[in-house]
Amino acid sequence: MSAFLARARRHVGFQIGAVLLLLFVGTALVSVFWTPYPVDELAMRFKLRPSSPEHWLGTDHLGRDVLSRIMVGAQTSITVGLIAVVLGMTVGVTLGAWAAARGGWVDEALSRTSDLIFAFPAVLIAILITSVLGASARNAILAIAIFNIPVFARVTRGASLAMWSRDFVRAATAMGRGPIGITLRHVLPNIMSVLIVQATIQFAVAILAEAGLSYLGLGAQPPVPSWGRMLRDAQTYIFQAPELALWPGLAVALAVLGLNMLGDGLRDLLDPRLRLMRVG
Amino acid sequence: MLDFLSRRLAAALVTLVLATVVVFAVVEVLPGDPALVMLGTDARPDTLAAVRAQYGFDQPLTVRYLHWIGGLLSFDLGNSHAYGTSVARLIGDRLAVTLPLGALALSWALLVAIPLGVFAAWTHGTAGDWGVMGFTQIGISIPNFWFGIVLVLAFAVTWRIFPAGGFPGWRQDPAGSIYALVLPALSLSLGEIAILTRVTRSAMLDTLREDYVRTARAKGAPESTVLFRHALRNALIPVTTVAGLIAGFLIAGAVIIESVFRLPGVGQLVYDSINNRDLIVIKNVVILFTILVLVVNLLVDLAYVVLDPRPRVAS
Repeated sequence: MSAFLARARRHVGFQIGAVLLLLFVGTALVSVFWTPYPVDELAMRFKLRPSSPEHWLGTDHLGRDVLSRIMVGAQTSITVGLIAVVLGMTVGVTLGAWAAARGGWVDEALSRTSDLIFAFPAVLIAILITSVLGASARNAILAIAIFNIPVFARVTRGASLAMWSRDFVRAATAMGRGPIGITLRHVLPNIMSVLIVQATIQFAVAILAEAGLSYLGLGAQPPVPSWGRMLRDAQTYIFQAPELALWPGLAVALAVLGLNMLGDGLRDLLDPRLRLMRVG
Repeated sequence: MLDFLSRRLAAALVTLVLATVVVFAVVEVLPGDPALVMLGTDARPDTLAAVRAQYGFDQPLTVRYLHWIGGLLSFDLGNSHAYGTSVARLIGDRLAVTLPLGALALSWALLVAIPLGVFAAWTHGTAGDWGVMGFTQIGISIPNFWFGIVLVLAFAVTWRIFPAGGFPGWRQDPAGSIYALVLPALSLSLGEIAILTRVTRSAMLDTLREDYVRTARAKGAPESTVLFRHALRNALIPVTTVAGLIAGFLIAGAVIIESVFRLPGVGQLVYDSINNRDLIVIKNVVILFTILVLVVNLLVDLAYVVLDPRPRVAS
């Protein structure tokens, strides 16, 4: 652990990513207890105001404080992204580990199914699902989660297969341990770093997807603030209040950038093979 | 080679058939009563019955599915519930906007990404490389629709060089139509530029380590010849693959970009159809996009065989 921290201290990308993620999560946490203004407080007299000492990021078309709404919007992003990734990861890792342990037709069926899901443009299926089930944060989570399943299933399968051919796993098989026991005790703990890296990247992808869906009106519904929806509203008033269209997009970009940099950093720090390659 | 291609074609067909089953299940089985989705829960029973009869929702699932497949094969996709016109014509008209938009975005992405990737690989490990990699990191993190809005802020609101949205139509104003596609294509290409730059860079780094590159350098070939004639030519193989994969997804990404710029393309059609709950249009657009992605992937496989002789020998 201390060796990891020592290496992390020299990895600039990882540090920038960690700071951005802390900022992102911190903003969401603070917004649970405190925002500069009540998030739904209407003040039509002060609508579409630019940045000022009273309203740091100005006000929207209903006179609501933009900073407060961006802070609460971070909650929406994290909730949708996190649940979608955890759901997709749980199902995907289980399927991938099963395919690797079992092989044969299970493996074949799983690989073909993930090929099928990858053949669909993800955005379209998310749109299809939310349009049939109705637009809501819950259905957006479901749509994003479905696309995380094959991603995690593939990564888990690949990494697990490599583990199954290792001597210590063979030894455990020879000692009579069953496939479930070996998967839980030997395989999964050893591929954890790969899964953590993938989860970080998928979290970034999920936040982008949530923003896109809610921009199209298919994500969290008003009055819940979401960054994508704020951008849609801001675009209507782009000639009267151009700044409005900057802040929510910047928030998405910084959150996604942070997670991507953290993911890349973690890959460098956790994957010993890459580390050796860089030294050599 | 024929064997290789026919195997790919068979796999694509199987995927396509499965895709139709999935889309059919999501659109017509998952919601319970599609007529209820199209008309809303407050619809009167007799209008519901009329819509069910009109679209055949009262028939058994297998009959409905086979009827749809038969329609797809004969390009008879039925009539749109909201527009009242033929779905095939509706989609055809809209493709005249979406396909040029996608083509423009992809050409622009390749034009920028390949030189950037070559530059990054050439300056590997120095400030130039770091700069390009930093740019790609930002490029994949920015939502492309927000980039579109920022472009509108800069080039339509502040400087008024380009229109903020809308599309004059190819027949009415061809030059203005191309002009109207510039900002949308730029915003659509941002993420693709980032991805293709990374792919070009890593493919170039691989080929620059090859023996034949060292031989060319040892023979005293000029650096530009080494980079472009020897290294890039082979690095283009993985770049083509990824560019092909991206091409399918560019068209899907157009859904949001067309909404940003109010372009009357297929993406906008999907968006409107969601609001109109026009399941007939949605179902057919999704399957057509899937076919497009599969066809592009097949073309990539074909290009792969042409560019790289090795799979030909292997098969």
